[in-house]
Amino acid sequence: MTEPIEPDLIALATPYALHAMSESEVADIDRLIAAAPAEVAQAFAEEVRAIRETMAVMSAATAVEPPQQLRDRVLAEVSGAPVVPLRRKPRRWQTAVLAAAAALVIGLGAFAVGQSLRPAPSMAEQVFAAPDVQTVSGEIPTGGTATVVFSREKNAGVLVMNDVAPPAAGTVYQMWLIDEKGPHSAGTMDAKAVAPSTTAMLGDLGDSQTLAFTVEPGSGSSQPTTPIFAQLPLI
Amino acid sequence: MTILTRVARLPFVTAELDALLRQVAARDVDAFATFYDNTRARVYGLVTRVLRDPGYSEETTQDIYLQVWRTADSYNPAAGSPLAWLLTLAHRRAVDRVRSEQAASQRESRYGAANVDPPSDQVSDSVILRDERRQVADCLGSLTDAQRECIQLAYYDGLTYVQVSERLSANLATIKSRMRDAIRGLRRCLGMA
Repeated sequence: MTEPIEPDLIALATPYALHAMSESEVADIDRLIAAAPAEVAQAFAEEVRAIRETMAVMSAATAVEPPQQLRDRVLAEVSGAPVVPLRRKPRRWQTAVLAAAAALVIGLGAFAVGQSLRPAPSMAEQVFAAPDVQTVSGEIPTGGTATVVFSREKNAGVLVMNDVAPPAAGTVYQMWLIDEKGPHSAGTMDAKAVAPSTTAMLGDLGDSQTLAFTVEPGSGSSQPTTPIFAQLPLI
Repeated sequence: MTILTRVARLPFVTAELDALLRQVAARDVDAFATFYDNTRARVYGLVTRVLRDPGYSEETTQDIYLQVWRTADSYNPAAGSPLAWLLTLAHRRAVDRVRSEQAASQRESRYGAANVDPPSDQVSDSVILRDERRQVADCLGSLTDAQRECIQLAYYDGLTYVQVSERLSANLATIKSRMRDAIRGLRRCLGMA
């Protein structure tokens, strides 16, 4: 591009505003604008701006609802919850522990930055910030990993399930906190909740020493009706 | 050309998104969630239109909102509306992704010369008013075929205007003026000019 006169420059505002230029062309334009008289630069900027406002309104024509799990992922990344990566392959438990630890650091970082401006920290944030926070992780025999980040002081934990196969139709996975008196239900996960990854709060750990998983019919049971297929020691 | 500070037809006002962005810049997660909910269909829809792949589109949309979270403090109300800021950022990332994947030729062979048809997917009325959607689609339909083709290739397919001119065997000056006339036609039709 050599010595363009002003109308040529303005004519390039449209492809510039629509990102219909190569990087080198954009760089050329930016250089020309920087060297142009102020009124030319302003006219160019106003043209670009008007085009972008137009296309912003046009976005109503192409609007499509994104899947719900995208919202969960986007918000998890900024809210201090454990970050469940989008493209994670099944891993060995050592890796899962490292990932959980990394997620914890990210969570704490976000918490520290945001705490003065945000409402009371969530229970998950309180668990991550607790002085006695612990992490246990293990493979689920049928595939995937389960990680629990927990605090005895806060009497709560956060369960992270990665790449765990969903339960068969008509059944749910049920979590049980087991203490000396036996198992107490800690919630259920249906197929929709499991795939491909999920987090759940575990309230009221009490004196439980183990988190166990069973497959239960319907929406869950008051006591386990099938053998435990995976468990994590909470010690 | 008039500087637009308000687009009255938007179902959610510029002022509201502007206020949310300020809160997001102050690391307010709840404000960020509201901002996401008020804009997600526009962003995801545009990204999907450019990338034509659900997996890529989800990844790119996630990247876009993380960029919003990180750079909300760089939004300057004097330079344009929050929606234009967001969709410019979104379109930039989608186009970058298309070019980095070098997927243009594959997409083309899979989809042929796609037209800008309004997608059939339902979008909740609280996010995009049905009337607005129809009016915007009508405005796109009011362009000449040649103008619409230029917008399709340059904006929704991520081609450069030089590639558009090669594709259509038209000279660069013709393509530039068609693109410019197309935008002007849309602005007039939308009552923004």
